[in-house]
Amino acid sequence: MTSIIELLLFPSGLFVLALGLAYEWVDRKLLAQMQNRIGPRWFQPFADLIKLLAKEEIVPEGVNRVLFLGLPVVALAGALTAALYVPLLGLAPAYSFPGDLIVTVYLLSLLTLCMGLAGANTLDRFSLIGATRTLTQLFSYEAPFMLALLAPALVAGTWQISGIVAHADGQWMLLTQPLGFIVAIIGLMGKLEMPPFDAPEAETEIVAGALTEYSGRGYALFRLGKNVELVVGLTLVAAFYLGGVLNPIDFVLKTGGLLLVMVGVHAVMTRMRIEQTVGLWWRYGALLVLVQILIQLVWKVAAA
Amino acid sequence: MSNLVDQITAGLKTWARVNSPWVIHFNSGSCNGCDIEILATLTPRYDLERFGVKLQGSPRHADVLVCTGPVTRQARERLIRIYEQMPEPKFVVAVGSCAVSGGVFEGCYNVMGGIDRVIPVHAFIPGCPPRPEAIIDGVVKLLSSLQSPAPVQPIMGPDGGKA
Repeated sequence: MTSIIELLLFPSGLFVLALGLAYEWVDRKLLAQMQNRIGPRWFQPFADLIKLLAKEEIVPEGVNRVLFLGLPVVALAGALTAALYVPLLGLAPAYSFPGDLIVTVYLLSLLTLCMGLAGANTLDRFSLIGATRTLTQLFSYEAPFMLALLAPALVAGTWQISGIVAHADGQWMLLTQPLGFIVAIIGLMGKLEMPPFDAPEAETEIVAGALTEYSGRGYALFRLGKNVELVVGLTLVAAFYLGGVLNPIDFVLKTGGLLLVMVGVHAVMTRMRIEQTVGLWWRYGALLVLVQILIQLVWKVAAA
Repeated sequence: MSNLVDQITAGLKTWARVNSPWVIHFNSGSCNGCDIEILATLTPRYDLERFGVKLQGSPRHADVLVCTGPVTRQARERLIRIYEQMPEPKFVVAVGSCAVSGGVFEGCYNVMGGIDRVIPVHAFIPGCPPRPEAIIDGVVKLLSSLQSPAPVQPIMGPDGGKA
């Protein structure tokens, strides 16, 4: 009974969906304020969701029907499952086992993988280019982002999220591991395809990227999945680098602060070309985080 | 009971449609005057995101097709194709004198006439070019009619798109 409530209402399911919509609104509102606009009303993401769900869903010619209709569901399910393993609102994760950090990060990648497959599934040229770029970007940010999350795990000596959060409690690893923090927050932006890393869905070049052919329900589910990924990613980075999330107020302040930084970068940067994104990650991102981990290991050995 | 549920879901759907109109902009042969006004409408000065309006690149994501210019014979096929790529329910707004009636191009050998000669149109916004306020007013009138008992019905031209 409790596991059904955990899956459908809290912390996964309806609760994290509502939280995702709220964070999308905060994101859009902050961006609007930075661009000297008023911005959307508070129910805007909810209205968008209902409208998309109530629209006709067109299945274009030449696609694999099962994949076309199934991929959005798998993507959203992956993101929702990841929400079970993170300390949402500063509460203990619903499920926890040694090594769940790896599982969570790869459940989040499932969404991107599904988007790539969804784009490659259609015959539309914009979808194909978008899918190629989505997957290229996935393979460029994934390793540095993963390493940036492993650096706190090394300090804590465990790969279990609750263990790392307990270790990070009140200890701001942002101060001791600044390089890892920078890579983690920029990696999160790459994961969410926020500008300047929005080449996979560049609307001025390739219409809407991998999701060009999706209408109605499929598009709504992918958008929801992305909102959940935003919440889960923010929770992970805040819990690891900003001294853990202790209670709901702490959670909202820390994730909101992170979101403010990300929206600030979004507002001042222009889109990078896809090969610039790859170059940034493999030349600088991976290098920075490897230096960070090396320092960490030497420190650990020296201290022991 | 099921009647009540139907009523509530229908009301919720209409509310969502009115509050989240995503537009796609298509130029079927305009002189660009109206296009500049449409882009001005979407700038931070008027900030249409306040009302949920977003410019979409893909017709699959859009609800409102905003058309400018008379339909040239070359653009006719493209306009029909973009219209048919949009998922239901969809709305068409003709912006500017040329889109309404063909304007100064009426009777030209290479021009079909207004948008309503080719696809059904829900709202006509006259002007050469219409001011951003006029465009916003037209879209708001179209959307608010959805909540009234008699929503706007699309209109086809005299020869029903066969011209």
